[in-house]
Amino acid sequence: MVEIKKEVRECDVLVVGGGIAGLMAAIAAADKGAKVIVADKSDTRRSGSGATGNDHFLCYIPEVHGTPEDFLVEFRESMVGGNSDAKIQMKFIARTFECVKDWQRWGIDMKPHGQWEFNGHAFPERMRIWLKYNGENQKAVLTEQALKRGVVIENKTPITEFLTDETGKIVGALGIDIAQLEPEIKLFKTKSLISATGNTSRLYPAITGGWMFNTAHCPSNAGSGRAAAYKIGAELVNLEIPNTHAGPKYFARCGKATWIGVLKDSQGKPVGPFVTKPTKELGDITADVWHSVFTEKNQNGTGPVFMDCSETAPEDMDYMMWGLKCEGDTALIDALEKQDIDLSRQMVEFTKYEPILIGRGIQIDENAATNVAGLYAAGDEVGNFRSDIAGAAVMGRIAGEKAAEYSLNAENSCNLASHPTVSKVRSFYTELMQRASGPVWQELNLAVQQIMHDYAGITFVRSETLLSAGLKYLHDLEKTAYKTLQCKDSHELMRALEAFDLLLIGKLIFLTALERKETRGMHKRSDYTFTNPLLNGMFITVKKENDAPRTAWRKSD
Amino acid sequence: MPPVIDQKKCIKCAKCAQICCMDIFGPARVKEVPEIRYSEECWHCNACVLDCPVGAVTLRYPLPLMLLAKDAVLNSSAREGN
Repeated sequence: MVEIKKEVRECDVLVVGGGIAGLMAAIAAADKGAKVIVADKSDTRRSGSGATGNDHFLCYIPEVHGTPEDFLVEFRESMVGGNSDAKIQMKFIARTFECVKDWQRWGIDMKPHGQWEFNGHAFPERMRIWLKYNGENQKAVLTEQALKRGVVIENKTPITEFLTDETGKIVGALGIDIAQLEPEIKLFKTKSLISATGNTSRLYPAITGGWMFNTAHCPSNAGSGRAAAYKIGAELVNLEIPNTHAGPKYFARCGKATWIGVLKDSQGKPVGPFVTKPTKELGDITADVWHSVFTEKNQNGTGPVFMDCSETAPEDMDYMMWGLKCEGDTALIDALEKQDIDLSRQMVEFTKYEPILIGRGIQIDENAATNVAGLYAAGDEVGNFRSDIAGAAVMGRIAGEKAAEYSLNAENSCNLASHPTVSKVRSFYTELMQRASGPVWQELNLAVQQIMHDYAGITFVRSETLLSAGLKYLHDLEKTAYKTLQCKDSHELMRALEAFDLLLIGKLIFLTALERKETRGMHKRSDYTFTNPLLNGMFITVKKENDAPRTAWRKSD
Repeated sequence: MPPVIDQKKCIKCAKCAQICCMDIFGPARVKEVPEIRYSEECWHCNACVLDCPVGAVTLRYPLPLMLLAKDAVLNSSAREGN
């Protein structure tokens, strides 16, 4: 049997995932006097999508932007503004600058040129809402701030299940210790839990096919928080509307707005309507708001589309290369150098990347609370709010404060050792580890990806028949994998459980996509080609009830 | 495969194995040159290169990740010499 570690870790607030949201949540909860543990599957100094940096932080400064309502208008039209509840967005806006000032005080350079500077991700002649900063050291700084406050960080600990008591409230979580090759189960007893496991990568095939870890966002983020939350009855939302990113082909990286150039076709003609000359203030926002330009132009033969920085002024080129370093794209800079690519005279092809879940996931209210008592969520895994790094920072802080307040008034007398989920998953993990033969986790992950791509993707349309078939195939795959998959060490066990999480989330995408009987954005239904205005601002939620998924509609707030 | 460790420079501190967000080295063990157990899972984030205290790590980029570049086309004003 897979062993269970004897010591049950106890805390008031358990933070699952030590990315930007998780660390900000931990810091805020500790400041409120809570005993906090952060469990991270890697090491919080370099984990998650913000591992090596970021350079744009959505921030509202009254003297710069006018009223919060003015700011909200621009925010909602940006790449992160859709599918969100405005009341959460307003609460976020009000606290962005406070977080920025704290980061600056803690040693993250939020005004690298001596003043608050708003550049990039911007439309011409419009308000600029993204603060340019240098996030190279953000994970180390936030880790240090958490440790300074007495937060306990448990690295190499993927959390695989959230635990509730018979009343349905949070009492703990279960994870695996991957610090040794032989896996051991770790139990956490807590009064509240903040799920902050990031976006969901690896659900669809990467642009490099079988090379599935070539993703713009961190490929370690595989939907574990969403899956664990769903299994205990939390509502997920907005799963059915696909979301993509764009950037250099074939080296998938974030940072498209850090490039200072113009997106052009082979003849040097700009493909977007926004800019013809590159400037550091604007960049080319075409890459934010019109990802399909890359595939459309290849499909009709007028592609490819390139990022052309050859007309960028030398001082702006220096600014761009510095910005890529702040963004954490040092590997991209290294790869460009190793390939002898000279951006002052060569263009680099850009492409649309595969769909990921970001701003699609766990449903929260404006206090970052879910419908499960004691369960909070923040960061990229939230389904009805998105603001990337700033959203993680601010909503992480709010989640930490609220979870701490909840915990300080809560009791937890549950005996985790006898919790039914613990014995159930222990037997399953043991089976996976003991099988002498059978498919490995990569086969399951790739099998999920090909079904998602072919039946609920963006390359082909969606329809009742395609979606129903794909959903059936995922069920079949799950049954087979459950009975046959094998793992040889703790690392493989982690990856196998991630693949099962991806499969579960995939099924929920199919169900919600079937429910949305219209075309909306990249959710293109061949049997419902019309975008129904009556469904504007209408969200689909899904949650587990009596062991089965139930979808529902609601109006956005 | 992706991270390449210079065995002569490596001081066996295991920092790269500890901080790797993809756990491609498996368990971090000091006093051993890290073994890259799961190379195909490298994200090429460069953290191991940035954090190695002695500069013993470099990244090798797999061929499927090749960046695609071609000469820029001069715009009309540049072509006319304006």
